[in-house]
Amino acid sequence: MKILLVCSAGMSTSMLVTRMRDSANERNIEVEINAVAESQLINNLENLDVVLIGPQVRYLEKKIREFVEPKGIKVDVIDQMAYGMLQGDKVLDQAIAMTN
Amino acid sequence: MQNVFKAFENKFLPVAGRIGSQRHLVAIRDGFAAILPLIIIGSLAVLINNLPIEPFQNFMVNIFGEGWKDLGGYIWNGTFAIISLVVAIGVSYSLARSYNVDALAAALVSVASLIIISPMTEDGGISLQWMSAAGLFVSLLVAIVATEIFRRLSQLNLAIKMPDGVPEAVSRSFASLIPAMIVLFIFGLLQVLFIDVIGVSLQDLIYKAIQAPFQNAAGTLPAVLGIEFTKSFLWFFGLHGSNILEPVIEAAYLPGLLENTKLFEQGVSAHDVPYIITKPFLDVFVAMGGTGTGISLLIALFITVKAKQVRSLGKMSAPAALFNINEPIIFGLPIVLNPMLFIPFILVPLVNVTIAYFATSIGLVPKTVVMVPWTTPPIIGGYLATGGSIAGSILQIVNLAVGALLYLPFLKVLDRSMARNVTNASTSKKVV
Repeated sequence: MKILLVCSAGMSTSMLVTRMRDSANERNIEVEINAVAESQLINNLENLDVVLIGPQVRYLEKKIREFVEPKGIKVDVIDQMAYGMLQGDKVLDQAIAMTN
Repeated sequence: MQNVFKAFENKFLPVAGRIGSQRHLVAIRDGFAAILPLIIIGSLAVLINNLPIEPFQNFMVNIFGEGWKDLGGYIWNGTFAIISLVVAIGVSYSLARSYNVDALAAALVSVASLIIISPMTEDGGISLQWMSAAGLFVSLLVAIVATEIFRRLSQLNLAIKMPDGVPEAVSRSFASLIPAMIVLFIFGLLQVLFIDVIGVSLQDLIYKAIQAPFQNAAGTLPAVLGIEFTKSFLWFFGLHGSNILEPVIEAAYLPGLLENTKLFEQGVSAHDVPYIITKPFLDVFVAMGGTGTGISLLIALFITVKAKQVRSLGKMSAPAALFNINEPIIFGLPIVLNPMLFIPFILVPLVNVTIAYFATSIGLVPKTVVMVPWTTPPIIGGYLATGGSIAGSILQIVNLAVGALLYLPFLKVLDRSMARNVTNASTSKKVV
């Protein structure tokens, strides 16, 4: 599975990425997780399964949905509290639930 | 209170969405983001050339001779001196990409159009006068107009009927030639109109009629307070205010910085350059630890808050806050839709702007002359941005302290109400 986190500069989401990877390692889940700036999304669509949008750029949800959903990629906004508390496990659960 | 905020949010989100994803504004923002490395490298070259540390300057002269500053000067030529040209490339490329048309071709056509519409020097060179900050608005305009015309024509698929037997690649190359040809032809005609008929350059016209008045208005204290208020207000709803406002902030405050840097490079003291409010001014003196002056909030939090959960969130967010990233605090504490933190979160940046504005205008602190990355930690950022002045770092410390004092009472109330909630929760459990 391949997950991409999107925010303004890809910086704050990258903190969450580290935690999500840790959680995936602990649970032995095979998954590739990265964070990019919203403007770089277009260059990172290959083999992508899930796009998770940082809550601070959730106003882009509609645009991103229109853009990537036709390619079969699932899109959602990250839960605000889980984002703020950097709860990698919860966000990973959110992503996994989306693909099921 | 929560309902009022919710109602506000429902009104805001669609508007923020429209602005934040408006194609041309996004292209401008991404275009600026793309050239940021050049601005920072040019800034560093200027800073090193003009670092006000005498032993360093003597040392460089002793080793490399009086000409050691040439190196920085050459780097200047390739960065600040042509910044409007490279902005056009960045904006055009981003815009074309958003339409899914050939972005490189569009960027090339835009640069060509910009040169066509630019005044030439007497001896036939490209006039650098308008390639720097003064030509910025024309660059944005030309990049957008040229790219729009180019992509519309490209999407029409103007195919030229070729005789049978002509390879498809050949006819395709002609098809892509026509849009470029029409764009350049239009800009050529415009230049004939401006230079040969009216007798004034587009650059001159736009600069005097739009860019200069806009820059002057944006440089006033009320304007910048308005921008900071809007930024914090959007963030209070958990919307990336800085990202949404970025095209305006860049267009309004980048030219001032470039002008400051240019004069500083020419040997003018950082006290005597013209523009007080610039992008780095806002980054280093206000957004310390992110919007709402996150580091002040964290200082106040560690002083006053006892709730374990909040303290551990503070510890977790501190490293990122040092580099001016504060989403964890904004969403984790949370600040978002938290009536108890609304006032300080909005107020602290406004107070910081005001303090920094007056400290700069009465000359206690030099003006900002160097673009530092917005992720530069405080203390260092203030020193570098002011062209190597300790006063810049001191102003940062003052602003952090004032901000922390303003946050303190509000966090105290928050802490108490959290403690009450915990006891309430435990007593209600006992009742059950």
